[in-house]
Amino acid sequence: MRRYLLIRIYSDNLTALSGEQFNDALLSSVRKYFGEIGVSTIAPKLLRFDPHRFEAIVGCQKSREKELQAAVALIREIAGSSVAALTVRISGTIKSLVTS
Amino acid sequence: MPRVEDEQSCIKTAQMLKAAGYRAVALTLPTGLLKDRVRSLRNHFANSGIELFVRIDISCANRQELLRLLRRFRNVYDVVAVRCVNHTLGLVAARDRRVDIIFFDPLKRNVWFDHSIANVSRAALELNVSSLYSESILITKLMKEIDIARQHKVRIVLSSGCTSPLMIRTPEQLSAIGMVLGLNVRQASDGVSAIPWSIIEQNVERRSKEYVEDGVRVAKRVN
Repeated sequence: MRRYLLIRIYSDNLTALSGEQFNDALLSSVRKYFGEIGVSTIAPKLLRFDPHRFEAIVGCQKSREKELQAAVALIREIAGSSVAALTVRISGTIKSLVTS
Repeated sequence: MPRVEDEQSCIKTAQMLKAAGYRAVALTLPTGLLKDRVRSLRNHFANSGIELFVRIDISCANRQELLRLLRRFRNVYDVVAVRCVNHTLGLVAARDRRVDIIFFDPLKRNVWFDHSIANVSRAALELNVSSLYSESILITKLMKEIDIARQHKVRIVLSSGCTSPLMIRTPEQLSAIGMVLGLNVRQASDGVSAIPWSIIEQNVERRSKEYVEDGVRVAKRVN
Protein backbone atom coordinates (compact mmCIF):
# COMPACT_ATOMS: atom_id res chain seq x y z
CA MET A 1 0.00 0.00 0.00
CA ARG A 2 1.29 3.45 -0.91
CA ARG A 3 0.42 7.08 -0.30
CA TYR A 4 0.82 9.88 -2.81
CA LEU A 5 1.74 13.51 -2.24
CA LEU A 6 1.02 16.40 -4.57
CA ILE A 7 3.87 18.89 -4.19
CA ARG A 8 4.03 22.41 -5.63
CA ILE A 9 7.36 24.18 -5.94
CA TYR A 10 7.68 27.94 -5.60
CA SER A 11 10.78 29.88 -6.55
CA ASP A 12 11.80 33.45 -7.35
CA ASN A 13 14.44 32.89 -9.98
CA LEU A 14 14.02 29.31 -11.12
CA THR A 15 12.77 29.45 -14.70
CA ALA A 16 13.12 25.79 -15.61
CA LEU A 17 13.07 22.73 -13.43
CA SER A 18 13.30 19.11 -14.46
CA GLY A 19 11.96 16.04 -12.73
CA GLU A 20 15.51 14.74 -12.23
CA GLN A 21 16.57 17.89 -10.43
CA PHE A 22 13.57 17.70 -8.11
CA ASN A 23 14.11 13.98 -7.53
CA ASP A 24 17.76 14.57 -6.61
CA ALA A 25 16.79 17.29 -4.13
CA LEU A 26 14.07 15.09 -2.63
CA LEU A 27 16.31 12.06 -2.22
CA SER A 28 19.15 14.07 -0.74
CA SER A 29 16.74 15.65 1.77
CA VAL A 30 15.38 12.24 2.80
CA ARG A 31 18.94 10.92 3.04
CA LYS A 32 20.14 13.95 5.05
CA TYR A 33 17.40 13.81 7.67
CA PHE A 34 16.50 10.08 7.77
CA GLY A 35 19.59 8.33 6.47
CA GLU A 36 19.95 5.40 4.10
CA ILE A 37 17.54 3.28 6.15
CA GLY A 38 15.03 6.11 5.89
CA VAL A 39 15.37 6.14 2.11
CA SER A 40 14.54 2.43 1.95
CA THR A 41 11.70 2.48 4.50
CA ILE A 42 10.05 5.65 3.20
CA ALA A 43 10.76 4.56 -0.39
CA PRO A 44 10.07 7.93 -2.04
CA LYS A 45 9.43 7.73 -5.76
CA LEU A 46 8.78 10.56 -8.17
CA LEU A 47 5.86 9.45 -10.32
CA ARG A 48 4.92 12.55 -12.26
CA PHE A 49 6.42 15.96 -12.75
CA ASP A 50 4.85 18.92 -14.52
CA PRO A 51 7.68 21.32 -15.56
CA HIS A 52 5.20 24.06 -16.51
CA ARG A 53 3.23 24.15 -13.28
CA PHE A 54 6.16 23.04 -11.10
CA GLU A 55 4.06 20.27 -9.62
CA ALA A 56 5.15 16.78 -8.66
CA ILE A 57 3.43 13.63 -7.50
CA VAL A 58 5.58 11.54 -5.19
CA GLY A 59 4.70 8.13 -3.80
CA CYS A 60 5.87 6.63 -0.51
CA GLN A 61 5.17 3.73 1.80
CA LYS A 62 1.89 4.03 3.66
CA SER A 63 2.38 5.23 7.26
CA ARG A 64 5.61 6.95 6.15
CA GLU A 65 3.96 9.98 4.60
CA LYS A 66 4.75 12.20 7.61
CA GLU A 67 8.46 11.54 7.19
CA LEU A 68 8.24 12.30 3.48
CA GLN A 69 6.23 15.46 4.18
CA ALA A 70 8.92 16.57 6.65
CA ALA A 71 11.69 15.85 4.15
CA VAL A 72 9.85 17.80 1.44
CA ALA A 73 9.40 20.72 3.85
CA LEU A 74 13.12 20.75 4.54
CA ILE A 75 14.10 21.15 0.88
CA ARG A 76 15.48 24.68 0.55
CA GLU A 77 17.45 24.65 -2.64
CA ILE A 78 17.14 23.07 -6.06
CA ALA A 79 19.81 23.65 -8.68
CA GLY A 80 21.30 26.49 -6.65
CA SER A 81 18.04 28.43 -6.35
CA SER A 82 16.02 28.97 -3.19
CA VAL A 83 12.70 27.15 -3.34
CA ALA A 84 9.67 26.39 -1.20
CA ALA A 85 8.23 22.92 -1.76
CA LEU A 86 4.72 22.87 -0.35
CA THR A 87 2.61 19.75 0.07
CA VAL A 88 -0.74 20.55 -1.47
CA ARG A 89 -2.53 17.26 -0.85
CA ILE A 90 -2.03 13.69 0.28
CA SER A 91 -4.09 10.83 -1.10
CA GLY A 92 -4.25 7.07 -1.43
CA THR A 93 -4.70 7.26 -5.22
CA ILE A 94 -2.96 9.21 -7.95
CA LYS A 95 -6.28 9.72 -9.72
CA SER A 96 -7.75 11.81 -6.90
CA LEU A 97 -4.63 14.02 -6.85
CA VAL A 98 -4.79 14.59 -10.60
CA THR A 99 -8.51 15.36 -10.66
CA SER A 100 -8.39 17.68 -7.63
CA MET B 1 9.31 38.23 8.56
CA PRO B 2 9.09 40.21 5.33
CA ARG B 3 10.99 43.48 4.91
CA VAL B 4 8.26 45.72 6.30
CA GLU B 5 9.48 48.77 4.38
CA ASP B 6 9.13 46.86 1.11
CA GLU B 7 5.50 46.71 0.07
CA GLN B 8 6.08 44.05 -2.61
CA SER B 9 7.79 41.76 -0.12
CA CYS B 10 4.83 42.08 2.26
CA ILE B 11 2.33 41.34 -0.52
CA LYS B 12 4.35 38.32 -1.65
CA THR B 13 4.55 37.01 1.91
CA ALA B 14 0.80 37.37 2.32
CA GLN B 15 0.13 35.57 -0.97
CA MET B 16 2.52 32.76 -0.06
CA LEU B 17 0.85 32.37 3.34
CA LYS B 18 -2.52 32.13 1.63
CA ALA B 19 -1.16 29.51 -0.80
CA ALA B 20 0.16 27.54 2.16
CA GLY B 21 -3.31 27.52 3.70
CA TYR B 22 -2.98 29.93 6.62
CA ARG B 23 -5.80 32.14 7.93
CA ALA B 24 -3.83 34.09 10.53
CA VAL B 25 -0.20 34.88 11.19
CA ALA B 26 1.85 36.54 13.93
CA LEU B 27 4.55 38.68 12.40
CA THR B 28 7.61 39.87 14.29
CA LEU B 29 7.81 43.61 13.78
CA PRO B 30 10.51 46.10 14.78
CA THR B 31 9.64 48.13 17.87
CA GLY B 32 9.84 51.58 16.26
CA LEU B 33 7.30 50.89 13.50
CA LEU B 34 4.66 53.60 13.06
CA LYS B 35 1.02 52.74 13.66
CA ASP B 36 0.14 53.74 10.10
CA ARG B 37 2.65 51.26 8.72
CA VAL B 38 1.19 48.49 10.89
CA ARG B 39 -2.29 49.41 9.66
CA SER B 40 -1.11 49.30 6.06
CA LEU B 41 0.51 45.90 6.69
CA ARG B 42 -2.75 44.63 8.18
CA ASN B 43 -4.56 45.81 5.04
CA HIS B 44 -2.11 44.04 2.72
CA PHE B 45 -2.54 40.81 4.62
CA ALA B 46 -6.31 41.23 4.92
CA ASN B 47 -6.52 41.64 1.12
CA SER B 48 -5.01 38.16 0.80
CA GLY B 49 -7.39 36.79 3.43
CA ILE B 50 -4.80 36.61 6.21
CA GLU B 51 -5.46 38.06 9.65
CA LEU B 52 -2.31 39.74 10.92
CA PHE B 53 -1.21 39.84 14.54
CA VAL B 54 1.90 41.63 15.69
CA ARG B 55 4.58 39.94 17.70
CA ILE B 56 7.74 41.07 19.43
CA ASP B 57 10.83 38.95 20.00
CA ILE B 58 12.57 40.26 23.10
CA SER B 59 16.25 39.54 23.26
CA CYS B 60 18.20 40.91 26.23
CA ALA B 61 20.93 39.83 28.58
CA ASN B 62 19.59 40.32 32.09
CA ARG B 63 16.48 40.20 34.27
CA GLN B 64 16.08 43.96 34.81
CA GLU B 65 16.22 44.67 31.11
CA LEU B 66 13.66 41.94 30.39
CA LEU B 67 11.22 43.23 33.01
CA ARG B 68 11.60 46.78 31.69
CA LEU B 69 10.90 45.68 28.11
CA LEU B 70 7.91 43.60 29.20
CA ARG B 71 6.43 46.59 31.05
CA ARG B 72 6.92 48.72 27.97
CA PHE B 73 5.73 46.39 25.22
CA ARG B 74 3.25 43.92 26.74
CA ASN B 75 0.24 46.05 25.95
CA VAL B 76 1.43 47.04 22.49
CA TYR B 77 1.93 43.63 20.89
CA ASP B 78 -0.44 40.68 20.46
CA VAL B 79 2.25 38.10 21.13
CA VAL B 80 5.33 38.51 23.31
CA ALA B 81 8.16 36.05 22.76
CA VAL B 82 11.48 35.97 24.60
CA ARG B 83 14.74 34.64 23.21
CA CYS B 84 16.43 32.94 26.14
CA VAL B 85 20.10 33.77 25.76
CA ASN B 86 21.08 32.38 29.16
CA HIS B 87 19.64 30.08 31.79
CA THR B 88 18.73 32.81 34.30
CA LEU B 89 16.83 34.76 31.69
CA GLY B 90 15.11 31.56 30.61
CA LEU B 91 13.88 30.98 34.17
CA VAL B 92 12.60 34.57 34.56
CA ALA B 93 10.88 34.55 31.16
CA ALA B 94 9.30 31.14 31.66
CA ARG B 95 7.86 32.17 35.04
CA ASP B 96 6.54 35.58 34.01
CA ARG B 97 2.85 35.55 33.05
CA ARG B 98 3.33 38.40 30.56
CA VAL B 99 5.49 36.17 28.39
CA ASP B 100 3.57 34.05 25.87
CA ILE B 101 6.37 32.19 24.19
CA ILE B 102 9.97 31.35 25.01
CA PHE B 103 12.48 30.07 22.51
CA PHE B 104 16.12 29.11 22.50
CA ASP B 105 18.82 29.66 19.97
CA PRO B 106 19.55 26.12 18.76
CA LEU B 107 23.07 27.05 17.70
CA LYS B 108 23.97 28.01 21.28
CA ARG B 109 25.12 24.87 23.01
CA ASN B 110 25.40 26.32 26.53
CA VAL B 111 21.71 27.14 26.95
CA TRP B 112 18.75 24.86 26.37
CA PHE B 113 15.26 24.10 27.62
CA ASP B 114 15.98 22.00 30.69
CA HIS B 115 13.89 20.51 33.51
CA SER B 116 14.33 23.51 35.82
CA ILE B 117 12.87 25.89 33.22
CA ALA B 118 10.17 23.44 32.16
CA ASN B 119 9.12 22.98 35.79
CA VAL B 120 8.21 26.67 36.24
CA SER B 121 7.16 27.46 32.70
CA ARG B 122 3.87 29.25 32.11
CA ALA B 123 4.91 30.21 28.61
CA ALA B 124 4.76 27.95 25.59
CA LEU B 125 7.99 26.62 24.09
CA GLU B 126 8.52 27.57 20.45
CA LEU B 127 10.41 25.35 18.05
CA ASN B 128 11.63 27.04 14.90
CA VAL B 129 11.70 24.69 11.95
CA SER B 130 14.05 27.05 10.12
CA SER B 131 16.83 26.06 12.52
CA LEU B 132 16.84 22.60 10.95
CA TYR B 133 17.91 24.02 7.60
CA SER B 134 21.34 24.95 8.85
CA GLU B 135 22.46 21.88 10.74
CA SER B 136 20.69 18.53 10.84
CA ILE B 137 22.68 17.70 13.99
CA LEU B 138 20.35 20.05 15.89
CA ILE B 139 17.61 17.44 15.58
CA THR B 140 18.87 15.71 18.75
CA LYS B 141 18.68 18.96 20.71
CA LEU B 142 15.15 19.70 19.50
CA MET B 143 14.03 16.14 20.27
CA LYS B 144 15.41 16.44 23.79
CA GLU B 145 13.60 19.76 24.34
CA ILE B 146 10.35 18.24 23.07
CA ASP B 147 10.78 15.29 25.41
CA ILE B 148 11.31 17.57 28.43
CA ALA B 149 8.35 19.78 27.45
CA ARG B 150 6.12 16.72 27.16
CA GLN B 151 7.22 15.44 30.57
CA HIS B 152 6.28 18.76 32.21
CA LYS B 153 3.18 19.30 30.05
CA VAL B 154 4.56 22.53 28.61
CA ARG B 155 2.69 23.70 25.52
CA ILE B 156 4.70 23.51 22.31
CA VAL B 157 4.30 25.93 19.41
CA LEU B 158 5.69 24.94 16.03
CA SER B 159 6.79 27.88 13.95
CA SER B 160 8.35 28.20 10.53
CA GLY B 161 10.67 30.96 11.85
CA CYS B 162 10.81 32.24 8.30
CA THR B 163 12.73 35.32 7.25
CA SER B 164 11.68 35.23 3.60
CA PRO B 165 8.53 34.13 1.73
CA LEU B 166 10.30 31.04 0.38
CA MET B 167 10.82 29.73 3.91
CA ILE B 168 7.08 29.45 4.51
CA ARG B 169 5.79 25.90 4.88
CA THR B 170 2.24 24.57 5.17
CA PRO B 171 0.80 23.91 8.65
CA GLU B 172 0.65 20.20 7.76
CA GLN B 173 4.36 20.22 6.92
CA LEU B 174 5.18 21.90 10.23
CA SER B 175 3.12 19.36 12.14
CA ALA B 176 4.78 16.52 10.17
CA ILE B 177 8.18 17.84 11.28
CA GLY B 178 6.87 18.02 14.86
CA MET B 179 5.78 14.39 14.66
CA VAL B 180 9.14 13.33 13.31
CA LEU B 181 10.75 15.12 16.27
CA GLY B 182 8.63 13.21 18.80
CA LEU B 183 5.22 14.85 19.14
CA ASN B 184 2.06 12.80 18.78
CA VAL B 185 -0.58 13.67 16.16
CA ARG B 186 -2.66 15.78 18.57
CA GLN B 187 0.28 17.73 19.98
CA ALA B 188 1.68 18.38 16.52
CA SER B 189 -1.58 19.70 15.10
CA ASP B 190 -2.28 21.75 18.25
CA GLY B 191 1.22 23.22 17.96
CA VAL B 192 0.38 24.90 14.67
CA SER B 193 -3.27 25.77 15.28
CA ALA B 194 -4.97 25.48 18.67
CA ILE B 195 -2.13 26.66 20.95
CA PRO B 196 -1.04 29.73 18.92
CA TRP B 197 -4.69 30.67 18.44
CA SER B 198 -5.47 30.34 22.16
CA ILE B 199 -2.49 32.60 22.97
CA ILE B 200 -3.74 35.23 20.55
CA GLU B 201 -7.35 34.99 21.75
CA GLN B 202 -6.25 35.39 25.35
CA ASN B 203 -4.13 38.44 24.54
CA VAL B 204 -6.79 40.08 22.41
CA GLU B 205 -9.18 39.70 25.34
CA ARG B 206 -6.58 41.07 27.76
CA ARG B 207 -6.13 44.15 25.59
CA SER B 208 -9.85 44.81 25.35
CA LYS B 209 -11.41 47.64 27.39
CA GLU B 210 -13.70 45.24 29.28
CA TYR B 211 -10.82 43.21 30.69
CA VAL B 212 -9.92 43.84 34.33
CA GLU B 213 -7.97 40.72 35.30
CA ASP B 214 -8.20 36.96 34.81
CA GLY B 215 -11.83 35.99 35.35
CA VAL B 216 -13.02 39.59 35.87
CA ARG B 217 -14.64 41.62 33.09
CA VAL B 218 -16.61 44.82 32.99
CA ALA B 219 -20.22 43.77 32.39
CA LYS B 220 -21.77 47.24 32.19
CA ARG B 221 -20.52 50.78 32.46
CA VAL B 222 -22.69 53.30 34.29
CA ASN B 223 -22.25 56.95 33.32
